[in-house]
Amino acid sequence: MRRRPPALTHVREAPARQEPKKATRVLVEHHEVLRDLMRKLTETPRSEPGRRRALADELFDELWMHERIEEEIFYPAVRDITPAIAAAWSEHRQLSDQLAALTCAGPHTERFDRELGVLRDVLRSHAHLDEEQHMFPEIERFADEELLLDLGDRLQARLRRLRSSRRFRTLLRLQRALLRRTARSAAP
Amino acid sequence: MGLGSDMAQRTLDRLLNAIEGDGRLDRPGHRLEKGLAFAENLLGVTRGRARGLLHGVWLGHPLHPVLTDLPIGSWTAALVLDLTGQRRAARTAVGVGIAGALAAAATGLHDWQHTHDNARRIGMVHGTLNTLALGLYGWSWLQRGRGHHLRGRLAALLGYPVIMASGFLGGTLVFRHRIGVDQSGRQHEPLGFTPVLADRDLTDDRPRRVRAGDVDVVLVRADGRIHALENACPHLRGPLSDGWLRDGALTCPWHGSRFELSSGESLNGPATAPVPCFQTRVRDGWIEVRRAPVAATAPPGSALVRQQEVRP
Repeated sequence: MRRRPPALTHVREAPARQEPKKATRVLVEHHEVLRDLMRKLTETPRSEPGRRRALADELFDELWMHERIEEEIFYPAVRDITPAIAAAWSEHRQLSDQLAALTCAGPHTERFDRELGVLRDVLRSHAHLDEEQHMFPEIERFADEELLLDLGDRLQARLRRLRSSRRFRTLLRLQRALLRRTARSAAP
Repeated sequence: MGLGSDMAQRTLDRLLNAIEGDGRLDRPGHRLEKGLAFAENLLGVTRGRARGLLHGVWLGHPLHPVLTDLPIGSWTAALVLDLTGQRRAARTAVGVGIAGALAAAATGLHDWQHTHDNARRIGMVHGTLNTLALGLYGWSWLQRGRGHHLRGRLAALLGYPVIMASGFLGGTLVFRHRIGVDQSGRQHEPLGFTPVLADRDLTDDRPRRVRAGDVDVVLVRADGRIHALENACPHLRGPLSDGWLRDGALTCPWHGSRFELSSGESLNGPATAPVPCFQTRVRDGWIEVRRAPVAATAPPGSALVRQQEVRP
């Protein structure tokens, strides 16, 4: 067996075995994380642009991770169970577009508040009105419990991996920087 | 004769089914869409005027099928000119076709990114074949310019059946999957005013889904008026009642088409057709709706049609 420096081993393998959860529950819990970030962002006043920017960046990362785990693990596994997957995939596109619009807005501007309001509506439409009210109940009814637990495991593992992936974070930071740069050069 | 066309039909059907059922096309498809999405957001297309322009909102139906006539027509002309030996004219025709193909590619990709499942996979193959044909004709154009007319003609000869096959798939997208076709229900129900919701239950700026007989309707109270539209986007029938409201327009939650509340007109695409509107009024505390009478002898939006509007 290959030996690793002990410190690294500790960091990488410290989280204990995750408790088994159904995929739908993992996703609803992550929706909660997103909604919580959204709430914090709404409560932060315009006079604190630094905190707003930091929260918006975190929301950007988490939303991307959310889309990523749903698209790579969850949707392909359940798309023969419910016909709603293609539409959900399109709703991700609406989220990405709105996220881009929010990123381009300066955190101290009125436009930022407007874009944030739309993002909240887009998220509500996708996460609550579509997935939580229609798609997830349908999947829980027709899918094997075992499949859902297995998917839940994979979703949690992938989410953890993405969160600690420096490459993924850098990629997202680069995207944001590019979006902001072109928005700035187009504005005046 | 009958047997031959039967076999041809079966073969084509099998071919289409094989493409439509091939889930392996999805991963590259979604990768491509992510790339497109980023590019469009970076260039400001998503929120800008270019979006509706490319979808063909100004035209009233998709722009892409109009532009595809350019490469198909020009390359057919090039084929004829090659046969009659008019070298310079043939090269010009090939060049015009290339320009048209590039415009068709831009609009086609723009439309394709907002499709689902089977249509999406057909679109992938359609686009791949077009890229191949464009490559062949591009090479043909270059070779002709360098005086290698035989090579140029050969490449064009190879490209022609490719563009024909691809055109067939484009037809499949429209006639089988109704991509770009107005998908709103054109029913005439309800004929008379039908109560759908208590007036006090409709909050400002919150779309609300109701049933009027067999028809799904979305009600919106905005700017002191009650608007009623069919609860299905004319693009792919997305549920408008799950959408969001900004600046007097309702956005479809699936692909982001924005519709003006007062007229149902699409503002940005991918939907190029308007959402059918209903007339509304309030009686005894109930909101009532009915399908606006269709003025068969007057164009939409004309004075006669306006007269038929009911003030609540």
